[in-house]
Formats: sequence, C-alpha cells, structure tokens
Amino acid sequence: MSDIITAPSHAAFERTTTKWGSITLFIGFLIATSVPFYLLFVADANVDLGNVLTGFLAVFAVYGVFYIVEPLTYFPILGPAGMYQAFLIGNISNKLLPSAIVAQDTIGAKPGTRKGEYAATMAICGAAIIHVASMVIFVGVLGTWLLTLIPEQVTLVAKLYILPAILGGVTVQLIASLRQVKSTLIALAIAALVILVLIPLVPVLAPGDVAIVVIVTIVITWFTRNRAVTDRRTDDGDSVGIN
Amino acid sequence: MTSASGSADYLGLANAPILWILAFAVMGVVVVQSLIYMSAVRKNAESAGMSQQEVRSAFRAGGVAAIGPSLSVVLVAIALLPLFGTPPVVVRVGLIGSAATEVASASIAAGTMGANLGDETFTRGVFIVALMAMSLSGAGWMISTLILTPIFKRSSHKLEKVNPALMSIIPGAALLAAFAALTFREIPKSPTHVIAVVVSAIVMTICLFLAKTLKAPWLKEWGLGISLLVGLVAAYFAHYAGLGAPEA
Repeated sequence: MSDIITAPSHAAFERTTTKWGSITLFIGFLIATSVPFYLLFVADANVDLGNVLTGFLAVFAVYGVFYIVEPLTYFPILGPAGMYQAFLIGNISNKLLPSAIVAQDTIGAKPGTRKGEYAATMAICGAAIIHVASMVIFVGVLGTWLLTLIPEQVTLVAKLYILPAILGGVTVQLIASLRQVKSTLIALAIAALVILVLIPLVPVLAPGDVAIVVIVTIVITWFTRNRAVTDRRTDDGDSVGIN
Repeated sequence: MTSASGSADYLGLANAPILWILAFAVMGVVVVQSLIYMSAVRKNAESAGMSQQEVRSAFRAGGVAAIGPSLSVVLVAIALLPLFGTPPVVVRVGLIGSAATEVASASIAAGTMGANLGDETFTRGVFIVALMAMSLSGAGWMISTLILTPIFKRSSHKLEKVNPALMSIIPGAALLAAFAALTFREIPKSPTHVIAVVVSAIVMTICLFLAKTLKAPWLKEWGLGISLLVGLVAAYFAHYAGLGAPEA
C-alpha cells in the first residue's frame, strides 16, 4: 500500500479505483456466476448444457447489445472509477445516477469536474451501503415474513411504476442542478424526436435508443457551444482538468 | 414449507446454506469496494479543491437519495422470493441488473423450455436454466465493462488532450440526454406511466423551490424519496382507476 504516503492527487485516485474497482468487479462476477453452476451440479434436474445454452442465447438476443451500449452510454457520465461501481451494483438509472445527481446538487459540484467526479463517487458509495443494507435486512433476513404482510396490489404498482416515479423527479433535479438551458432544450428535443418518432418508425434501433439520444445531444451541444466561454482554461476553480 | 403442486420443489435447493453464504459474500464485495473508494476519495479530495466536509455531505446525500429507490426495489425483490428463493434474488437483484431486467430474462429463458414464470410449468429444471441465463447475462455486462473501461479511458484521455473543453461539456450533456431519453421512454407505455412521471416531476419542483426559499438543504436530499413516494401513490390510484398498463 505505497499509495498511503503519496500526496493527494487525481492520479493516485485513478490508480486505486482502477486496480481495486476491477478486482472487486471480477470477484463479484465469479461469486454471482457460481450460484447457478452450483445448482446445476447438485440438483438432479434433467437439464443439459443444450438447454442452458438455448436459454442464454434467447436472453442474449434481447440484451446482448446492451453489454456494449450501456457501458458506452454511461462512461462519459460515470468516468472510469464509477464504471466499476455501477456495473457491479447495477440499478444504474434508478438508483446510482440519481444519487450522484442529488449529491452534486447538494454540494454544488458540476459533472465533468474533478469535484463532480469525487462527489459522484462518494454518492455512489453512500447509495451502495444503503442498497446492501436494504437487500440484506429487508430481502435477505425479513423478506419471507414481509411477503406475507404486503398486499399484492402494492407490490404490483411498485413493480410497474417504480421507474417513471423516479425518473420524473430526477430529471427535474438534474436540470435544476446543471442550469444549462441550451443543453437541456437540445436533450429534451432530441429525446422526444428519437423516442417518440424515430424508434416507432425504425423499431430495430430500439435497443440503442438512449445511446442515440446521448450521442446526438453531445454532438449538437458541442458544435453549438459558446467557444469564448468553453475553449479556454478558466481559473474559477470549477473547470475541468486543472484542479 | 412444502408446495402442494410440487412445482416449487426447487425452493429448498435455492435456499441451500452455501447459497446464503454466496449471497452475503456478494453483498460483502460491494461493501469492500465502497470502503476502498471512500478512502481513495478522502485521501485525494484536496487535489480537487474538495473539503472533507463536502466529502461527507456527498456521501450522506447519495445515501439519503438512495433510500426511496432502494425501498421500492426491495418491494419488487420480495415479490420475487416465492419464485426464485431468497439467495438467488439477493444475488440477481443486488448485483448488476435490476428487478425488471431479471424478470424479463427469466421469462425469456423459461420460454425456450415451453414454461411460464410462476405456474406449474416452472419446474426445477426450468428454474435452473432461467437462473443460469440471468447469471450469464449479468456476467456479460460485467465482463464487457472490465474490457471496455480501460479502452474508453485511454480514448477519453486522448480527447481531453485534443480539447479540454470536450470533457467539460460531454458529461453534463450525456447526463441530460440519458435522463431525457429514459423519461420519454416511459411516456408511450400507459397513461399511468405519464401520471407517475409528471407527478414525480411536479413534487420535485416543489421540493427544490422550498429548499431554496426556506433555505432547507435537506429537501434537496429527501426530494427524490418524496417525489418517488407521491409518484407511486398517484400511480396506485391511476392504475386501479383503470388507466394502467395491460397486465404482463
């Protein structure tokens, strides 16, 4: 642990998070994948590898493209450190990113700055601890008992509408926190156009819908930027790459 | 508990002690990763002009904001317990993926064996194939992240050298675009989805307005939990008033 005595630096942060982020993600992958293999070998269930392969390929046909598209979509937002957290824990759009947005809003840090990145990392750690605590206590330990108490109508509504009920609020907080009127209008217009017009016309593009909106928004925002403001290294302490 | 139909005879297997150990180990890995990351931020925060006070505030804000979403995920996870058993639910919902993705994957995999989730066709063999498919699919995300992140990192460092403004514009624009797209994706689903989005957005607007006028920063942290709850309550009434999505 030679890192301990080095001076605070972004390079040290990146070294630690890349090394330990990828190690923990890999261990998580090993343990999680061993669960069904254990069952496959101990259960006397008349299942052969052909069944497993067919089942997996059917799922792969639906989600395979997301293995590439999601990391690509979230990398510009999360940065390298956050990638190892997000793709270990999952629940990215409904839990981790909302937490990061709230934390950046709370301490007034902007995405794309070092401070914004650190705030997001701490926020995801906070969210991860709450996530683990809630899974262990309410699902692992008390789950079977709670199952008998909660009316089915309530679980059904939670299952169907959890995502829209989170997204409305988060999007408003994100817009309020960033205060980038032009990017906001571009993002909303492109999203409306792609999701409500393009995808119904060309349904094959559906798995890449969010990625398309992200890429087009970035490109338009980039080419319509106010060069006088963005293309010089400011010293107001909130610009990227200097702090 | 024994099941009369015998269709859930795999539940004893799914609740085997070794699987409990694996489930807790997986949650342990998440905690260890967070602890390492927290100490990395704490040690290096100074280099980004971030005070230790701000580091703590960011951690707390993130944790508080995750309470509402976590409890909703818990509700969904609990509903899956009779289907998959506790340890598999903790591993699948607790790691990469979300309750929705996992249920969809399980149902697709079960379909390849001519079975349906939750009825008598969902036998021990189907359960194992479904869980296998969910797990391998989750592994797909993890492995591709392990491979792609270093590649993306090198290219973003190169871009940053070409024009430093790039990395100050891209993350904000990407974030706005991602959430705009995710939100619009909910709109065509049903009138109740629209109600959930709109109510949640209005409640958040009120929370943020009050946080500013009353100088109550805690409302920024709790805003998400409050909007989520009110959004779900509105969705509850709308759904049972017949505006809901057709039952899957």
